[in-house]
Amino acid sequence: MNDAVAVTLVGVLGITGSLLVLVSAIAMFRVRDALSRINVFSPATGLGLPLIVVAAFVYDLHAEGFRLGSLLMAIVAVVCLITVSSVASNTLARASVLSGQPIHRKTSPNRLARPPEGVVDVDPDAVDDSEHRD
Amino acid sequence: MRRLINAVSYVCFIEWAIIVGSLTVASRLFRAHRQYANPMIVEVPLRCVTDLEVTLFASSITITPGTLVAAIASGSSSQPPVLFVHALFEDSEESALEGLYDMESRLLAMTRGRGPSTAAHTVKEPDWEEGSS
Repeated sequence: MNDAVAVTLVGVLGITGSLLVLVSAIAMFRVRDALSRINVFSPATGLGLPLIVVAAFVYDLHAEGFRLGSLLMAIVAVVCLITVSSVASNTLARASVLSGQPIHRKTSPNRLARPPEGVVDVDPDAVDDSEHRD
Repeated sequence: MRRLINAVSYVCFIEWAIIVGSLTVASRLFRAHRQYANPMIVEVPLRCVTDLEVTLFASSITITPGTLVAAIASGSSSQPPVLFVHALFEDSEESALEGLYDMESRLLAMTRGRGPSTAAHTVKEPDWEEGSS
């Protein structure tokens, strides 16, 4: 691999990855509630950081030649980034819903608050609550 | 062998969904005069049965930019498990559900070796076939 190709690849991959992190940060200011902020964070963790890892791998490949160790490290890093960030986003979203964070009023339809047409929800705790109040 | 091919095509599909979703998040930033997002929370009754399928499906939804699993309700003997999905960039509830069911069909083709036999909308209303036929 000659110098020009390697430098171009590293530059394109690295700059695209960091721009995606920037885009996620700006998008977080454009949305209004906690759930949406967790949602627009995933371009950074799902695509931006893996691209930066790939850029680092290409740089390593160019500087020191091919090594099986660095290839394995890159693959493990990308897989772990995607898995961990998706599980972490799930956990964050569940935590924000269960702790009662306000959901943006224009969220429509909101099936967590209102069931679909024709479905009657019975609240099993309703009777217990009134007994406690008395 | 076919499951291996399905698994590779599923990984490619998820990668493609991540790229398209990221581009959506980015390109919407430049539409200054219109509303950035159209948030909604939709209810998705699952055809996934095992823990592995439900976990993989929830993780796939969350890693795709624009969709996020907000809550999971466990199933019972009469009801399937339900995911509550927060979607940002979909036009309507139907189009959001359509995309999610497409992803679920591909996932089930990977884990079971073939596509699911029941159509997506028969899960929600089991009595649908009796009434119409």
